[in-house]
Amino acid sequence: MSIDWITVAAQIANFLVLVLLLRRFLYRPILDGIDAREAEITNRMQEAVRAREKAQAAEQEHLDQVRALHAQQADIAETVRKQAEAQRDALLAETHKRLEQERIDWLAHLDEEKHKYAARLQRAGGGALLSLTRKALKDLADDTLEGRIAQHLARRIKPMAGDLRDAAGKGTEAVITSREALPEAARTDLLRSLHEVFPAVSVRFDTNAEQSPGLLLRIGGAQLDWTVDGYIDSLGDVMDAQLTAGVDLKGART
Amino acid sequence: MNLSPDQTIIFEAWGIPVNATIFYTWVVMALLTVTSHLITRRLRADVPPSRWRTTLEVIVQGIQGQIEEVAQGPTRYLLYYAGTLFLFVAMSNLLLVVPGFEPPTASLSTTTALALSVLVAVPLFGITSRGIGGYLKTYLEPSFIMLPFNIIAEFSRGISLAIRLYGNIMSGAVIAAILLSVAPFFFPVVMDVLGLLTGMIQAYIFAILATVYISSATASPDTSQPEKETP
Repeated sequence: MSIDWITVAAQIANFLVLVLLLRRFLYRPILDGIDAREAEITNRMQEAVRAREKAQAAEQEHLDQVRALHAQQADIAETVRKQAEAQRDALLAETHKRLEQERIDWLAHLDEEKHKYAARLQRAGGGALLSLTRKALKDLADDTLEGRIAQHLARRIKPMAGDLRDAAGKGTEAVITSREALPEAARTDLLRSLHEVFPAVSVRFDTNAEQSPGLLLRIGGAQLDWTVDGYIDSLGDVMDAQLTAGVDLKGART
Repeated sequence: MNLSPDQTIIFEAWGIPVNATIFYTWVVMALLTVTSHLITRRLRADVPPSRWRTTLEVIVQGIQGQIEEVAQGPTRYLLYYAGTLFLFVAMSNLLLVVPGFEPPTASLSTTTALALSVLVAVPLFGITSRGIGGYLKTYLEPSFIMLPFNIIAEFSRGISLAIRLYGNIMSGAVIAAILLSVAPFFFPVVMDVLGLLTGMIQAYIFAILATVYISSATASPDTSQPEKETP
């Protein structure tokens, strides 16, 4: 066992060189690599934390937006519901109004039709009544309706002379209008009666197919209706009453 | 039979004889340096480490962990020094199993050189850490009467380091050589296995003792640790 001091010195030098070599090729690369990797891991973890925070913020924002959308959706639904209700009410009101109007129109139309029918019925009834009357007078008394009316009017002129004069004023012509031409005897009776009351008045006989059966006397401003209009109107009133009663009965049944 | 590889001349360069101790030291140095360089030459932080790089990281971090258990404060330079001590001694002892290889640590010159380097490193680290006044003050602790004893203790550390490592490695190699001549097919294998084990243990002990000595010299007085028991 001996110590070679030259070898000792060489070994010290070798060891120092080895320290430098390993520091250069082993420790520094390894430790720097570890440090760099730890820094990289730290950076990535920080990035992950930031990404997670960003994701959480995005999630929170998304949830807020969803909540806002839900609230907005509820508002919109409420608004739409109210609008629908208002529109429904408006449509119902309009429909009710239209139905009411249609009902009023229908009632008016019905009333008009009723009046038209009553008028037609009145005319037909009046015509039938007059025909029957004429036929009865012709068959039973060999007389005409207009002739009997003229004779009766001739008898009634004298009692009404005062009123006729006042109404006639200074009229110089009397016009007697009938639906059909009057019989000669009736004309004579009327002329005699009128000349007794109005001697200076000329008399003219005229016919009007549109006129109701009877006579129409016009002298100046005076006019005397001596027709069956009032009776026909009475017949119309009776028919109206009967129709109304029939409608009411129908309505009561329904 | 040569008990020390110092006496074995491998070759001469420019008239200077190169003995087996120096030659095989160069072999170990080359092996450590080239291997490290091959593994660490293309390191990138963003690339997963290879298994070789992971192996080196485990070794380096293992050494660093052992140092940090003993020393306090910055350990980077202590790692360079004590880690190199460990790797050199461990690699030298591991190559004992290679036929024809004579471990440099079986030379008292090598162990003396390493012990001297520790002997010099302790005050250097101490002065670097505490300053020259603070370091020299440690020789007067706990009293100036202890100055000669502290100086003797300082040298005895180096001598004990050198003799311990040399004795263990040289004795193992010598015993293996003797048993090789007695029972060439069985005992050398057992002795080599034991040699690997004791070699690694001696490397660990040498490096950890050097770390303890240096850290005790660099530690502040209030945090200084008691020296570990020498195995």
